[in-house]
Amino acid sequence: MGNSIRKQVADLFQFALILCAAVVILVPIYWIASGAFKQQVDVFQLKLLFTPTLANFNEIFRSPYNLHEKLLNSTLVAGTTVIVAIPMATMAAYSFSRFRLRFERTMFLMILSTQFVPAVVIVLPYFLLFRDLGLLDTRLALVLVNLSLILPFAIWMIKGFIDGIPLDTEEAALVDGSSRLQVIWNIVLPMALPGILTAAIFCFILAWNEFLFAVIITNSKAVTMPVGLSLFHAEEGVLWHLISAAGILIMLPMFGLAMIIQKHFVQGMTLGAVR
Amino acid sequence: MRDRHLKYLFVLPALVLVLVTSFWPLLQSFWLSFREWKLSRARESRPLWEPEFDGWETWPYLLENYQRALEDDLLWNSVQVTTTFMFASVIVSVGLALGLALLLAPGGKFRLTVRTLLILPFAMSPALIGISWRFMFQPDFGLFQAVFGAVVPGLADVDWLGDPTFALIAIIGSDVWHWTPYLTLVFIGGLANVPRDAQEAAMIDGASSWRVFVDVTLPALIPVLAVGIILKSIFSLKMFDQVYMLTNGGPGNATQTLAHYIYFHGFKYYDMGYASAVSYLLVIPMLGLTWLYMKLVFLKR
Repeated sequence: MGNSIRKQVADLFQFALILCAAVVILVPIYWIASGAFKQQVDVFQLKLLFTPTLANFNEIFRSPYNLHEKLLNSTLVAGTTVIVAIPMATMAAYSFSRFRLRFERTMFLMILSTQFVPAVVIVLPYFLLFRDLGLLDTRLALVLVNLSLILPFAIWMIKGFIDGIPLDTEEAALVDGSSRLQVIWNIVLPMALPGILTAAIFCFILAWNEFLFAVIITNSKAVTMPVGLSLFHAEEGVLWHLISAAGILIMLPMFGLAMIIQKHFVQGMTLGAVR
Repeated sequence: MRDRHLKYLFVLPALVLVLVTSFWPLLQSFWLSFREWKLSRARESRPLWEPEFDGWETWPYLLENYQRALEDDLLWNSVQVTTTFMFASVIVSVGLALGLALLLAPGGKFRLTVRTLLILPFAMSPALIGISWRFMFQPDFGLFQAVFGAVVPGLADVDWLGDPTFALIAIIGSDVWHWTPYLTLVFIGGLANVPRDAQEAAMIDGASSWRVFVDVTLPALIPVLAVGIILKSIFSLKMFDQVYMLTNGGPGNATQTLAHYIYFHGFKYYDMGYASAVSYLLVIPMLGLTWLYMKLVFLKR
């Protein structure tokens, strides 16, 4: 009897701790989200009740902020990066998964280790190169540097999915006289498609949230959403209500995407160190 | 086409891209680190953004950048900030994540729902986290100040971002918020691999749950913990986004991490050669950590 009461108290205690953790996770998100619907005066007060307004979302798309341009830049940059990276990554992943290659380990480690290179180190030569090529403040430049960021993740994730596809169907088709390319196109790709889409979503999130490259390489035409956050200044100071509105547009789509790929989100970042 | 050609052809685009986009800039910045490129001279000749201008001076510059770096107190300050930040954020986030993982591991509807929430902070843009935290740490209308002030009266009048120590704590806090949920998910994955029968056998033998944790669970978790610790260290070492948005290195240079210092010298003073030299201070520990990480991840295969 004493034991079961102790267990109940322990359970309650655990429940309370977990609830605390959930609150700590949610409160900052809620605070930014709610700020987006506040009038400027309400932002400067800690009231929990306020009259919600949609005016902020109107204002961020108008001059001088023109957030739709940043939204377009972010979407195009992240989208193009993913569209270029995923086919390349799929090809490489297939080769690493199915064949023995000379220097396989070296090549593989070389590709994976690049995700640890500090962005601030490689952006210095990039800046000078893009300056020489006249590519500063263009979306093309951002796509190029983002490729270096997401390719290792894409290769690793897709290889994991292809590893999980059994070899038999592939071999049977090869014996029946299909060419390797036919096998890949007709058998492997359809089976790996969910995995490839997962990797694409993961990489889209990474590219969308990327900040350091964007803040250095762009300054007006190619500015992305995260960099655009620093635009909301006026004479009276920082315009927190507009920042919050822009913040919602940055985080909500990514929350949605992350939910879609839930389980694989963890694996992607650890290079599959944890299954 | 034969497989033996095809298989290399398939790897080629990715390999070339990685070589061009990562290794070339690494080597290039090594080369830059022995040269000088200054805004001051750029102004005398042509505007900086004009492609024709070549602001380079090589000889006899060789080691000057490195020498200057070693003599700069502000650089050592940023090394110290980075180290403090790294240790604090790694210890706090890994510790909290381990606790939270143990709490959430058993399953059940409530716990699974909370687990879903854990994805959110990590899907959020670090730049947005930084600026949100700046909002919440504002002296007069900031949420955090009100909350902390209500809980601990001594904190009511703290100007978080204006005080060197509290500003660093604010950055560590935002980073812990960003990473702890993610690490929790990693550790929950690790806990699934802990042998259940060994845990139960120890329980039946009358071991307390604390002893079961120390003797059975923890040893089985060590590989996953190591992965989490190294991964977090690597990303802490590179810390930039939140520093830029939350404190911009201030007050003074109290929260200036190495990455921010390099950014500042490279892109505020346009002292590219010097920034490149300093960046190798960041590359060296990173190489060590990456090597360790790769060893850990690939050892078991």
